[in-house]
Amino acid sequence: MTASTLPEAALGVLPRADGSAKYSHAGYTVTASVNGPIEAQRRDEHPYEAHVDVIVRPAAGVGGTRERHLESILQSSLTQIILVKNFPRSLIQVVLQVEDTPENDYVNTKLVQASLNFAIMPALFQTSVLALLSAGVPMRATAAATAVAVVPEDGAKKIVVDPSPRQIEIAQSVHVLAFTSQEELLLAESEGDFTVKEWDDVYETAQKICCRPASTKEGMEMVLDEEDAGGPDMRHFLRSTLESKVTADLHWK
Amino acid sequence: MATERPLVLPGDVIPPSLIPTSANPNKKQQPLRLGPGLRHIPPSDIVPTVAGQLITVPHKNSMWVEYNSSRYTPTPSDLVIATISRSGPDFYYASLSPYTANATLPHLSFEGATKKTRPQLPPGSLVYARVTLANKHMDPEIECVSSATGKADGLGPLKDGMVFDISLGFARRLLMARSKEEGKVEVLELLGEEGLAFETAVGRNGKVWVSGASDAKGNEGVNAKTVVVVGRALQETDTKRLGVEQQRKLVKKLVREMR
Amino acid sequence: MPREAEPSLNEREFVLKALQENTRLDGRELDQYRPLELTFGDQYGVADVTLGKTRVLAKASAEVTVPYTDRPLDGIFNIATELSPMTSPAFEVNRPTETEVLISRLLEKTVRRSGALDTESLCLVAGQKCWSIRVDVHVLSHDGNLIDAACFAVVAALRHFRKPDTSMEGGVLTVYTPAEREPVPLSWLHSPFCITWSFFGEEGEIALLDATWLEEQVRVGSCTISLNKHGEICQIAKLGGTPVEAVALLQCTNVALSRAKDFSAFLDRKLAEDAKRRDKGGLLAELSAENDR
Repeated sequence: MTASTLPEAALGVLPRADGSAKYSHAGYTVTASVNGPIEAQRRDEHPYEAHVDVIVRPAAGVGGTRERHLESILQSSLTQIILVKNFPRSLIQVVLQVEDTPENDYVNTKLVQASLNFAIMPALFQTSVLALLSAGVPMRATAAATAVAVVPEDGAKKIVVDPSPRQIEIAQSVHVLAFTSQEELLLAESEGDFTVKEWDDVYETAQKICCRPASTKEGMEMVLDEEDAGGPDMRHFLRSTLESKVTADLHWK
Repeated sequence: MATERPLVLPGDVIPPSLIPTSANPNKKQQPLRLGPGLRHIPPSDIVPTVAGQLITVPHKNSMWVEYNSSRYTPTPSDLVIATISRSGPDFYYASLSPYTANATLPHLSFEGATKKTRPQLPPGSLVYARVTLANKHMDPEIECVSSATGKADGLGPLKDGMVFDISLGFARRLLMARSKEEGKVEVLELLGEEGLAFETAVGRNGKVWVSGASDAKGNEGVNAKTVVVVGRALQETDTKRLGVEQQRKLVKKLVREMR
Repeated sequence: MPREAEPSLNEREFVLKALQENTRLDGRELDQYRPLELTFGDQYGVADVTLGKTRVLAKASAEVTVPYTDRPLDGIFNIATELSPMTSPAFEVNRPTETEVLISRLLEKTVRRSGALDTESLCLVAGQKCWSIRVDVHVLSHDGNLIDAACFAVVAALRHFRKPDTSMEGGVLTVYTPAEREPVPLSWLHSPFCITWSFFGEEGEIALLDATWLEEQVRVGSCTISLNKHGEICQIAKLGGTPVEAVALLQCTNVALSRAKDFSAFLDRKLAEDAKRRDKGGLLAELSAENDR
C-alpha cells in the first residue's frame, strides 16, 4: 500500500474521551485520547500546576525503554505549551496508540518486540496537539513537528523531509524538530553523526515546514506548490482541520 | 452586535481592529472584559488559549472565545446534577463529572434542614444543586437551597427517573430561558404536545434528569417507556444536531414507535 | 488512579424497571446488537471494530523464533490484551484489572484453545525454528460488551493477516521479504465468535445481548458462549452471578448460533471486499506462490 504523502486527521473519534484525534502522515497512523483535567493520583499531584501524563503504546508488543524515552520527550514539550498553572493538583492524561507504521519492504522486521522508531515522533506529537485542541485544554500556542533526515546520495548529502524507513536505515542522522505557532523552537532531538552546518540546514528546512507564514492576501487562492516547499504545510493543515471541528462543535452554542 | 466571528487557535495574534474599544465615548470608559478562552499577557497582549470562535460584543466592551469542551468546569451559580458518592461528618461528597475531585455539599444546605431533619442520602443518590464556590485551588462546593431566601426553588434530591448524558453545549441551550425561540430546541415542547407527561431537570454538567409524572388518575410510578422516549429524543437531537423541523419528525417517529 | 464512576441509584432502578417493560434505553430489542462496523488497515492484519460506542483495534504480527522445547512441532500463538488508560482513566498501565484478565482468558479459550489457528503449520524446522504469531488487542473506547467486539476483532485480524513466505532448500531456510514474494495467509481452521448474554432481575429472568456499559454495571450475571457458524461450541463461561435456569441457557445458545452465522457472513463479506480493493488489476494471483490445500 502506498503511504499517503499529505497529512490526514480526524478529531473527536473516540466518543467517551474528553478529546481525541486520529492522524496519519507518511505511513504512520496514531490515535490519541486526552482526558483532563481530572483528579491526579497522590504521587503525581502538584500544588501549583497540572501533571501531564503521556503514555505511548506500540501497535504490536509491549512498550519498552524506547517508548518511555518518547514519552518523556513528549511530556516535557507538551508541558511547555499547555497552561498547566490553570489546573493545580490535577492531571491531564494523553494516551497515544500507534496503529500503523510504514513497513520496510526490504527487511523482515522483528515485530514481536517492536520498539518505536525515532521517526514516529512528529506523528505522535502532532496527534497529541490535535487531541489537546479537541479536548479544549487551554494552551499557550499550537505547535507543529517534523522529521528530517540527512541521507547520503551520490557522494553528496541530501536533506529529506519525512524519511521512509528505508531512508532512515541509510541516513547519517535523523532529527525531529517542533515549533510553536509563535515560531519558537519547542523541541529538537537528533540521532546520528552530523555537523553544525548540517544541523543549521535541517533547522531551516524544518522551520519552513512548521512555520510557513499565513497567506498574505485574504480570499486569494493559495498557490501551494508542495514540490517547491519540499513538504506539507503543517500550519495551514492544523488550521483547516480545526476550522471544521469548531463549526461542528458550536452548533449548540 | 458581533458580525465577524473569526476562528482563533491558541497563541494566535488577534488583530487590534477586533479588540473592542469603548464604543460610546459619552459614557465612562468601561474596562475591557475578557471571557473564557482568552488570557491577558501584560502589558497589552490578548491571546486565545483554546480553538474556537472569537466573539466580541463592542457595546458591552467584552470579548471571549466560544468553544465546546466535553469536560465540565464548575462555575458559581451553575445548576448541576450531582451524584452523592459518600457522606462525611458535615458534608456529602458529590460527583459532578467522572474522574474529577468530588464537590462538597453541606448536610444543612437543604430547605428547612436541621441536624435532625436533614435528608439522609445513601451513596448513589442524585441531587439537583447549585454551584456556590468554584476555584481552581479548591474542590467545588454546591448547595440545594438558596442561601438568600432559605427556599429550595426546585433544588434538592431527585427521586426515581433516569439521567441521560448530553453535550455541555446542548445542556446550555436547554437551560436558556427561552430555549425554543433562541436556542432552536423545541423537542421537549413537542413531546409535551404529543401528550407525554414528564418532568425534567437539566444540569450544566451535561446531564438531564427525566421522570414520568404520575398520570391523571393519580397512579403513582414512572412510565419507563415515556422516559426512554424523552431521553432518546434529547440525545438524538444533541448528537445529530437536528434542526426544529427534524426534531418534529423525530418526535413523531419515536412517539409512533412507542404506541 | 481515579475510580470508575458508579451509576446512581436512580439509574440502576430505572434500567431494571425499563427492562421489565421490555424497553432498552437506546430503543433496541433485547436480542439486538448495536451496528457493527469493521475496517482493515493499510497493512495486513489490522482490524478496527466498532460496536456502537465500543471500539477495539486488533493487530496481528509474526516473527521467526525458537519453538518451546516441549512442543517442538508447534508454532507459537499468543493473544495480548491490555486495557490502556485510553479505555478509561480508571485503568492504569501495568496493573491488570479483573476485566482485563477475564477478557484475555476468554479470548485465549475461544481462539487459541479451540484450534482456530493451525499451530502445526507454523513450524518451520522441527525443534529449531517456528513462526510466533501474536495478536495485540487495543481497546480504544469502552461502552460495554468488550468481549464480543474483541473476539471479532482478533478473528478478523488473523484472517486478514499475511505472514512472509518461506522456503526450505537443502536444509537452508529462507524467509522472503515482502518485496521478494507476496506474503501468505495463515492456515485458518474455523472462525469462533463470542456472544455474551447479560442477565437482569432477581432470578436472572431477563436476558439480553450486547449490553452497554451502563447495562453491564447493573446486570446480575453474564454468560459468554463461543461458537462457530457450524454450531460447534468452543466454550461457555458463566462466571458467578445469579443462577440461571438451564432451559433459558439452551434458548440463549440457539440465538447465539444465529448471531455467530451473521458475524461469519459479515466477516466473509468484508474480507472479500478488502481483497478486491487490494487486488488492483488482478496481479495478486500471479504473485502468490501459495498452493491450494
